[in-house]
Amino acid sequence: MGKQPSSAELLPGTLDLLLLRVLSLEPMHGYGIAHRLKQVSDDVLQVGESSLYPALQRLRLNGWVKAEWGTSENNRRARFYTLTTAGRKQLLSERDEFDRMAGAIQKVLRMV
Amino acid sequence: MHFVWRRLTFWWRRDQLERELKEELELHAALAQSRAVMGNMTLAQEESRDMWGFRTIEYLLQDVRYALRGFAKNPGFSSVAIISLALGIAGNTSIFSIVNALLIRPLPFQEPDRLVRITNLHPKALLEYFQQRSRTMDIAFVDPGAEINLTGQGPAMRVTASETSANLFSILGATVERGRVFAPDEDRPGKDGVVILSHELWRTKFRQDPNIVGRTIALGGMNRRVAGIASSGFAFPSTKVQAWIPARIDPRNMVDYWGGAFVPLIARIRPGASVEQARSEIHSLAAGVWKLFPWPMPKRFNADSTVISLQTDLAGETRSKLFVLLAAVGAVLAIACANVAGLLLARATTRRKEIAMRAALGAGSGRIVRQLLTESVVLALAAGGIGILLGTIALSLFRSIVPPQIPGMAQIGFDWRVALFAAALSVLTGLSFGVVPALSARSLDLVEAMKAGSQRSTTNSWIALRGWLIAAEIALTLVLVVGAGLLMKSLYGLTSVNPGFNTQKILTVKISPNDAFCAQREACVAFYRTLIEQADGISGVVNAAVANTVPLDGGLPAIPTEVEDHPRTPNFPSPMLWAGAVSPSYLSLLRIPLLSGRAFTDADGSNTSPVILISASTAARFWPGVNPIGKHIRRAGENTWRVIIGVVADVRQFNLANNSPSAISGAMYMPYAQAVQSNGQIPVVMNLLVKTTVSADQAATDIRRIAVEANPDIPVGKVLTLTGIVGDSISGFRSTIWVFLSFAVAALLLAAVGIYGLMSYSVSRRTYEISVRMATGATNGSIVRLILGQSLRTTLLGLSLGIGASFLLTRFLSGLLFAVTATDPLIFTYVCLFLVVVAAAASSIPAWRASRIDPIRTLRAE
Repeated sequence: MGKQPSSAELLPGTLDLLLLRVLSLEPMHGYGIAHRLKQVSDDVLQVGESSLYPALQRLRLNGWVKAEWGTSENNRRARFYTLTTAGRKQLLSERDEFDRMAGAIQKVLRMV
Repeated sequence: MHFVWRRLTFWWRRDQLERELKEELELHAALAQSRAVMGNMTLAQEESRDMWGFRTIEYLLQDVRYALRGFAKNPGFSSVAIISLALGIAGNTSIFSIVNALLIRPLPFQEPDRLVRITNLHPKALLEYFQQRSRTMDIAFVDPGAEINLTGQGPAMRVTASETSANLFSILGATVERGRVFAPDEDRPGKDGVVILSHELWRTKFRQDPNIVGRTIALGGMNRRVAGIASSGFAFPSTKVQAWIPARIDPRNMVDYWGGAFVPLIARIRPGASVEQARSEIHSLAAGVWKLFPWPMPKRFNADSTVISLQTDLAGETRSKLFVLLAAVGAVLAIACANVAGLLLARATTRRKEIAMRAALGAGSGRIVRQLLTESVVLALAAGGIGILLGTIALSLFRSIVPPQIPGMAQIGFDWRVALFAAALSVLTGLSFGVVPALSARSLDLVEAMKAGSQRSTTNSWIALRGWLIAAEIALTLVLVVGAGLLMKSLYGLTSVNPGFNTQKILTVKISPNDAFCAQREACVAFYRTLIEQADGISGVVNAAVANTVPLDGGLPAIPTEVEDHPRTPNFPSPMLWAGAVSPSYLSLLRIPLLSGRAFTDADGSNTSPVILISASTAARFWPGVNPIGKHIRRAGENTWRVIIGVVADVRQFNLANNSPSAISGAMYMPYAQAVQSNGQIPVVMNLLVKTTVSADQAATDIRRIAVEANPDIPVGKVLTLTGIVGDSISGFRSTIWVFLSFAVAALLLAAVGIYGLMSYSVSRRTYEISVRMATGATNGSIVRLILGQSLRTTLLGLSLGIGASFLLTRFLSGLLFAVTATDPLIFTYVCLFLVVVAAAASSIPAWRASRIDPIRTLRAE
């Protein structure tokens, strides 16, 4: 078994942010989200299902995404996650927070 | 809020969620199959599930499920445990319900905690004296109630009326349903022609006629205007009271003012004052009241008056009885808990393997302890449920220990306090007996338990603890059984005591004319003489008599007297004597033996010189060693002396234990025609007694008939048998004893079960050792002796603890005991022997089982 990238290796809370960002473009099913993350990050961000699905449930519970059953590209029933208005708001605020955080980290790293 | 709601809906739909998640993950797997590595699908499932947030509930349900499954697998253990606790909880809940109703639940009056009773009985004059001087209290006067006739409203009836000062209702803060309460001056002469009716009397007798207020009714021969109808449910000072009439407080009538009636005083503490202030005030006020009387009073009369809460006062003697029962039932619960703790402890040790297995599979120690605790709580809750059920039944049986006339006692029920008490009790019990075995399970050495697989590795300290638990149970049981033994001996003593009179086949009925009926003394004497003659004429009646009281019916016709050779001084006030007014046939009818002199005859009438008979103990008290015949006694204030013509045997007039009130110094009998009272009249209300040869029912109809026919305007009471009256006089005591006895039996059963459990467990634990002994030549008999000896050691330890405890504790019963001391050695001996037999019987089955152990099989299995 290869190395499993997991949320533990991401900054805390980043997975939620990434999921919200991915879903902000279009509704997707779980596998699609994982695949998209991997693609966009040039294979750096490989989210395992054991972090992905719990995170999606957490987002649902918080009311940031809603889940609807639809049909996948291979004609199977799949659950599509859509960003809600609350989720969009959450994305904005988390993004600001992340930028602030990333900026701060950059500053620390660049200090002479 | 939304979050919680979503969680709840998720929780509700969890089956659906599970299905959906599974489907989703399968799709993921299918899509990922061609390329990426498969992750841990189960982990994904479990963690998603955790995300839904009902792991805690899930674990709890799981624990409960395990517990129920465990109990179902072990029906013997669980039924014994549940029944033990249920018995304990049932007893406690029912007794606590009574305690709550009597002593805890606030009295149904305004600000009941400010209501107090001033102890002792005081005349009207002292009411006014205290009222005028007290700065801390408003004081009212309220007598316990006496029967008077209500006439002019259909057939005459007896009504219990309480004489009160006009401020009673305002002091209690009670309102009336209709009309008004007494006006402040309505206890003054001339203004007191009013009455307040109880709701119940208004409903039954006046058919809720709203126009009755303001109308006049005839009560005890006096016309009184109905001022108001009390609120429904209002009862004071007892539920027997059906009407309140103003006491006539008249300082000019010196005799009545200072000596007419001695009654209880109640008071409300004024705002800003405290009970302690009121108490010290009464102490200083009451100290000198004996000097205020217009005639010499006993030194320091009523000087010891103090202030107690009204609730305590109303509970009366029942209070101490209840505390005894509460202690007894608490002991039963303690025994039940010790039993269950022992059972759970044994179970925890025999379950070591199971627990070790769980721990090995990854259950944290917290998780295991939680599961064990859940088991205990489930057990306790099940027991609590059954206990409450049994408790309601027990309550309906135990209710009889409280006199029903105490206000509010009719509504003893399971209120929220009691429910809370039972719930807290069951959970606390669960926790307390869950803790020890749970701790025992925690200190488990995994490898050792798994490896040994037998029960030999059990820590010895837990076994010792269990032995001590059982010994403590036996000790408590001994205390209860000794108590029950003492009480049973008392009850036996009371029922077999010679009351001094014959009770067989005697019927009695109360005839109660108005006072006015006897204004002409001769008319009254003639009326009762005719009644006796008519009663004699009934077929089956062999003798008939009249008397002002019947022994043990609760009446107390005591009067202050002057006794020849005993001049009255402040240190020797007028002795109070029980004064019977009887027809000549009374003594022969009750077979009260004449010891010397002569009995009354019909010739001792109203115009002949007054004669009396006295009881043997009265003679011994006033004229020890001297022939009392020819000596004299007279009513205090009377001019002519009455000559003693004979001495009769003692009769237990007041109660079977012969505890006549300390104020009563003796007993005398007067011929009815000569029994003139302080008001110049002879007693009006009399009891007709007849001795029959036929059945009580048959004679009762005839007796009632002749009494009613003699004068339809005179109320005639219920026909009672004398044996019934004697039985009723100890019914409260009897029911207390039965309740106590039921607790002792419960304790005994529980202790027997406890010993049995301990010994079976010990035998199963010692199987290996016993097998080795047998293999090396021990006989069956020696094995039985070994086991019985072990049980006997525990029992003897318990008995010695119990004897010590009993010596300390049974003295609290002494108020209930009759003709037996609290440390009766015979009872102690019998009870100890009895408990040894019970313990031996309980351990005989395990001992027999031990002797049947097959050593070959056991040793091979090891």
